[in-house]
Amino acid sequence: MAPMPADPKLSHTAAMILQAIHIGCIYGFSVMEMTGLPSGTVYPALRRLERDGLIVSKWEQAAIAEAEQRPPRKYYRVTRTGRSTLAAMVQRYPLLERMIPSPEMERA
Amino acid sequence: MSARLAPAAPLARAVVCTAACLVPRGQRAEWRAEWQAELWHVAAVASRRAHGAGSAGPLTFSLGALRDAGCLRWHHLRSRPPLPRGSAERCGLALALFAASGLLLCSCLPGAREALLPIHPGYPADLVLIASQSASGQPWPTLPVADYREWKSDTGRLFSQMAYVRPAVRDIYLPRHRPVRLSLALATQNLFAVLHLPEARSAAGARLILSDAAWRRDYRADPSIFGHTADIDGEPVVIAGVLPQRAWHLQGSPQAWLLDDQLLFEASPPQARGLVLARIRDAAFPAPRGGAWLMTETRAAVQWSYLCISMRSLGVQPTFNFLMVLLLACLALPATTALPLGDYPRHRDRLPPAVTARRWVFLAMKFLFVPAGVYFWSLALAYGPGFAGSTAILVQMAASFPLLLLAIRWILQDQRRRCPICLRRLSNPARVGQASCNFLSWSGTELFCSQGHGLLYIPELPTSWFSTQRWLCLDSSWLCLFPERQTTSPEIV
Repeated sequence: MAPMPADPKLSHTAAMILQAIHIGCIYGFSVMEMTGLPSGTVYPALRRLERDGLIVSKWEQAAIAEAEQRPPRKYYRVTRTGRSTLAAMVQRYPLLERMIPSPEMERA
Repeated sequence: MSARLAPAAPLARAVVCTAACLVPRGQRAEWRAEWQAELWHVAAVASRRAHGAGSAGPLTFSLGALRDAGCLRWHHLRSRPPLPRGSAERCGLALALFAASGLLLCSCLPGAREALLPIHPGYPADLVLIASQSASGQPWPTLPVADYREWKSDTGRLFSQMAYVRPAVRDIYLPRHRPVRLSLALATQNLFAVLHLPEARSAAGARLILSDAAWRRDYRADPSIFGHTADIDGEPVVIAGVLPQRAWHLQGSPQAWLLDDQLLFEASPPQARGLVLARIRDAAFPAPRGGAWLMTETRAAVQWSYLCISMRSLGVQPTFNFLMVLLLACLALPATTALPLGDYPRHRDRLPPAVTARRWVFLAMKFLFVPAGVYFWSLALAYGPGFAGSTAILVQMAASFPLLLLAIRWILQDQRRRCPICLRRLSNPARVGQASCNFLSWSGTELFCSQGHGLLYIPELPTSWFSTQRWLCLDSSWLCLFPERQTTSPEIV
């Protein structure tokens, strides 16, 4: 994992993807559906975010997938660094939270 | 997992499998598993939604895998350490660049591009170009019009169709357009029919076919000019059409073709020279498979000789010349360097077959890229500046022979100076022994592989007991002496 720069700069697209994962779209396909971005944009961005340490990936347990008669999926989770970066990105891109509102904001 | 994929996704799955080849090996299995799992869900969602409205189909989704795999490969390439000096990969890359730059240069220079590509795959086998004997085998305009007319009547039993073409420069006046001076090919009406080229038929009379470049440059690609009558030397000529790009492969690059028998014969001075194109009549004589042959004719008690050149052979001439030079260079090679690649101990049982095969593949790769690069560069040198005919052939042969000789010599010498295991250049040459003591002890040069695979001994004077270089493999007990050794280097088992 590459060390994260002190002042991370994410593109608007990467920030949208990070926000989508943060609100619970933990699979690549669900991020696509939430953001409306194509697969050729979402998956390379996920790799970059993971390389930068903003998200981590994990395979779901095979038993769960077997029980549901489907292949196991890889899911993503925002790290602590990712959360602080996302907070900075929300300041930078004010429309981000309006496009992909977090549950806290929806409740508010 | 594959059995659970939705039936609608086989093409998408194939795309993912193809894209997986781009992914670096260490990440491939996981990458593939993730994409296939996601594809399963995409296919499931698409089948649930009757018309797939609002969601990407499996195929569209899978196309993203290509980009994802490409990004991973690109990142992998960027994060790799630079190739070490003298490595086989670096050498292969340099040779591939050499060949690719030659090919690029050939494709940029019009003359070289024409020499590189086949003359015209659609030319019939019985189509020949006829020049006078003094033309030394080259398709230069050498026949006067008078010869053509007599010749046509005399050889009617041999050739079914004949056409005559000669170069000229004329001013063309077209109403509502400025006059243009074009280099023309004055030809008989049947020129394009003999050549099997597409042709716009129009009313009888003189016809002008413009080249694509001249139509775009001088008439701004105006389609309304077709069918209009232009004026050339006071003669009305109908503009009949445009010849597509790359359709004309004979000598010169005319900007237009003026097809009219009467104009050709009346406007041609006696000293004007042109080319004759002819189709061999069925069963007149066996159509030659290529190359040129001499045809002799006795007319008015004088013997006339003509050179007939098969049109199909013209396209392969630069390649054929190069192959001839390659053969000559191979024959001359033993005079410049030794041919054996050295004496290697038989350690087949200790070296993995893949390592042995890699050495031979590397040699084959050099023999592929180096002559290819020399071929492209020789074409660029010979045909790029606009040389033609025998001058171009001479330049090509004169350039390619020394280049090939030096290149093949380098290939063998380079192969001998590489470690047979890791294929790196051997380093640190050290002179051992004294030449004056040659009969008493060994003298020569010693090199070693920086990865610790072995030592190479090259004798100063070849003797009956040490005639060629010898390779000595070092076992793993020597490895502590080679701190530069890389873990990825092939091992001797």
